[in-house]
Amino acid sequence: MKKNIYEVGYRYHPGTVAWILHRLSGLALILYLVLHIWVIHNLDNPIGFNKVMGFLNEPLFKFLELGLWGVIVYHATNGLRIITVDFFTMKGAKFQKQMFWGAVAIGIVIFIAGAVPFVGHLVK
Amino acid sequence: MNIKSVTGDSGVRRWFYQRITGIFLVVLLIIHFTIMHFIGTGEIDYQTVAPRLASPYWKTFDLAFLIFALYHGMAGLWVVVDDYVHRDGWRVFIYSLVVLVGAVFLVLGVLTIITFTPHMLFTIPSKI
Repeated sequence: MKKNIYEVGYRYHPGTVAWILHRLSGLALILYLVLHIWVIHNLDNPIGFNKVMGFLNEPLFKFLELGLWGVIVYHATNGLRIITVDFFTMKGAKFQKQMFWGAVAIGIVIFIAGAVPFVGHLVK
Repeated sequence: MNIKSVTGDSGVRRWFYQRITGIFLVVLLIIHFTIMHFIGTGEIDYQTVAPRLASPYWKTFDLAFLIFALYHGMAGLWVVVDDYVHRDGWRVFIYSLVVLVGAVFLVLGVLTIITFTPHMLFTIPSKI
């Protein structure tokens, strides 16, 4: 049988999982982006804007926003890790593994730092 | 048949711009989240947002944000199509859809930003 040269294969190690999550989070962010553009486009009048925003200030949406923050932090830290591997590592990305876990640690710290004001608004 | 067969390029420029726009987006997102979510009360209403969107500086910021984010997103979709859609016909079709979606939301966003003028700033109640 002829092998399909485009076939995407998966062998699971941290880098692969990071790649799949990067793709999924990217797709989620595209969906969010177009919704965001659409909603803002249709909110030209103050009353309508505040109505929708009042709705979005409900705890459920604050919670979803926290999820959005998590997806963004993941995509951004992993993206910067990829850029670092692509541009700034000599000798074939020698420190890939260390950088992977470094990015995980930095991502968790940034997520928590950003989550504090969110949770603060939530419990207030 | 190789990857150049449909688009006429190897994608190396898209690869490069994806990284450049990614770096810009991180910076713009930090500013966006700080202004919208980290400082202030956490409640977003017209009275706080409208004056910002009325200023030419924030309009420039938002335009850059819009263009970088849409480009980055659509270039990302492009790579996903590269990976999973193998027939030339389908590729051309889906690439066209990606470009169309990007163009439509670019126009929507640009219209929102450029045409925005605030109204009744001081006459509406803060809570509806």
